[in-house]
Amino acid sequence: MTGPKLVSILRQGDWLIASIHTALDDSQMLLFRNDLVEQIGRHRSRGVVIDVAALDVLDSFGANTLRTIAEMARLRGAETVIVGIQPDVAFAMVSLGMDTGDVPTALDLEEGLAYLGRPTGARSRGRRDAAG
Amino acid sequence: MGATDFIGAREDPSAPDVAALIPMVRRVIGARVADPTTAEDLVQETLVRVLTAAPRVEPGMLEPYAIVTARNVVTSLWRQQDRDRRNQHRVVDLSPPDAPDDDMLAREEQEAVAAALARLTDRERDTLVAHEVSGQDTRSLAEELGSTAGAVAAQLNRTRARLRVEYLLVRENVEPPTDRCRPVLLALSGGDRRRQREVDAGRHLLECEVCARLSPPLMERTQSRDDELRIPIAVDADVVAARQAARELASRLGFARTELTLIATAVSEVTRNIVRFAGAGEVVVELLDQPRAGVRITARDTGPGIPDVQAALADGYSTYNGLGLGLPGARRLMDEFAVVSESGRGTTVTMTKWCDAR
Amino acid sequence: MTERPDTTPPPPPLPRSPVNEEELLPQLVSHLREHRTKLRQEWAARIQGAGLLHAMTPQEMAAETTSVYDNYVEVLETGSVEALQRYARDLSERIIPRGVETHEVVGIVLLLRDVLARSLFEKYQRDFALLNRVLDAYEPAANRIANTVAVSFVDERERVIRQQQDSIRELSTPVLPVRERLLILPMIGVLDSERARQLTEQLLTGIRTHRAKVVVIDITGVPAVDETVANHLVRTVDASRLMGASVIITGLSPDIAQTLVTIGVDLSKMDTIGDLQGGLEEAERLLGFSVTRGDGTGTM
Repeated sequence: MTGPKLVSILRQGDWLIASIHTALDDSQMLLFRNDLVEQIGRHRSRGVVIDVAALDVLDSFGANTLRTIAEMARLRGAETVIVGIQPDVAFAMVSLGMDTGDVPTALDLEEGLAYLGRPTGARSRGRRDAAG
Repeated sequence: MGATDFIGAREDPSAPDVAALIPMVRRVIGARVADPTTAEDLVQETLVRVLTAAPRVEPGMLEPYAIVTARNVVTSLWRQQDRDRRNQHRVVDLSPPDAPDDDMLAREEQEAVAAALARLTDRERDTLVAHEVSGQDTRSLAEELGSTAGAVAAQLNRTRARLRVEYLLVRENVEPPTDRCRPVLLALSGGDRRRQREVDAGRHLLECEVCARLSPPLMERTQSRDDELRIPIAVDADVVAARQAARELASRLGFARTELTLIATAVSEVTRNIVRFAGAGEVVVELLDQPRAGVRITARDTGPGIPDVQAALADGYSTYNGLGLGLPGARRLMDEFAVVSESGRGTTVTMTKWCDAR
Repeated sequence: MTERPDTTPPPPPLPRSPVNEEELLPQLVSHLREHRTKLRQEWAARIQGAGLLHAMTPQEMAAETTSVYDNYVEVLETGSVEALQRYARDLSERIIPRGVETHEVVGIVLLLRDVLARSLFEKYQRDFALLNRVLDAYEPAANRIANTVAVSFVDERERVIRQQQDSIRELSTPVLPVRERLLILPMIGVLDSERARQLTEQLLTGIRTHRAKVVVIDITGVPAVDETVANHLVRTVDASRLMGASVIITGLSPDIAQTLVTIGVDLSKMDTIGDLQGGLEEAERLLGFSVTRGDGTGTM
């Protein structure tokens, strides 16, 4: 692969953090799906956070692909949370008649990890809440 | 190699009387170049070029040809100066060659112009030459022709549009394969959008290879109006390009961010249909100001067509790995939405979003 | 003020020799310049007589009428309305907040046109043919000026109205961060689709900037909604969820509930609570849960 990376998949213990860095076309989206599902199996991950904050549009194909990823992850024993859907993208998605199905969503990466129950994240935020 | 040797070598009795052209060439150049020495140099240069090309120019066409050449030679002198924008439309505004190797090409182009001029009617040609070459204004032309300045200007525009089309046909050495070609090319050349819609120019360009090949230079001028974009669609990446282009163009109208994303999403859906079902097509994004500000997207393809448009517009219709939201979804995102599909010929989706916010 | 009002028209050098058209306008302009004081005062008097511009003090009136007069003559002279256009916009900006109406602005410009036309008539009445030509030259220019001023005023007025509407809208749909991660959106008054759109924009970006986890939308103050707005509301709720925020709706009237059902909304899937107080308690509960481990909050 040459050029700037379109996506990145980072392993953090039992979790995978998959970030999309730019607008993807359908074939790139499918490559991303295959790559991510393959890594979930390889690392026996228990949770996946997909950060879509850089997507300009989540149309029927994009949203459906995310749901497929979550479903395939579930079959491999991992839970998926989608984070970073932009305000305008969220509104366009629901206007289109789309949602993320049963896949949970969270505001951003931090929330997504908290949702998956990442202990350090929850603790550190609890402390900050108490301090403020 | 002097010009006189060249004349001396000619023995053709029908040889054109180039000398007779000299006063006219002098007048054309003199009207444009103040310095007499420079003007005389340009006159000589013009005559050399005319002589070189004379054997291939139709006898009656030598005079207009010389006029065009004289103008080109002058333009060459001016080419370092800023080109005035109003000169863009002038078809004879060919940048004259510098290097000797370009000379041949330039000659061929000039011949094409001359041949194209010959295809105009006498009246069209006379009016155009009077305006472009002798610099006569539309008002005095109107008086001579017993018409109005506006009508003469419109006629001149049509003539220029025709000249551009004929020039391309001559230069590319093709005859239009169908009788729809010329009207389409003329509409494109004139930049007349209403006429383009009437003759369904967009669809014709998808279907007719010859016109598709000829049309880009004709459309460059209208593209420079920059309130319209045309994106060819063939592969997945084009879907992203189309929706980004639509967003960018529409953003000029002051749409809110959310609405821009609605537009981009709708473009994404209809464009994907082209890639999946038709394989090739185009998306045209236009800014509208009538009846109010808005953006119109036209997505057309040459695919098999949609057998049942009503069914395709109903939720849940899907023939590929989507959710069946393509057309009905896009319809929900836009204010106006229409699908025209013809079995075996293709589909055109036209959708509009009005910008009522401000 | 120090200018001497010239009461007696100077004996006009009778334009016996045929004047050609190019000289007509300059001649006319210099006439209007020469009698500036008298004509301007006559005009001001007629404005007062017609009861126009009563929102202005006499001093302001004197200053503005002088400027308009000079601009007017300049347009006649140069044929270019740009400076006048700028002045008219500027003037409109100053007088619109004081309640000056369109008919007043159009009225005063027409009065000036008539005052000047009458003065031209007096000057040239002895040569009827010349008078006709003078008026032929004057009238189109004068109408163009009246047009320009009126259009500038109306444009400016529309701009001001739009601006005011925008700020009213912003005020009427506040997004209030009541505590960390909790937003309240109290909606009051009639919701049209434009307001609904702004509300969506504000709420969704508000969720992002305040990192809101729970949003309480209180619609107690909304009498009714049509189907389009109801639809918009539902989309906004769904979009908020996609961004990871839970939405609680309070103060749902039976009428609005009925509209929601009509457009096919499954009310059992919406978190609706009777009043704002109850909504806030529910929000606290959700936030408390979400710190430890939420069960399906923020999911669809």
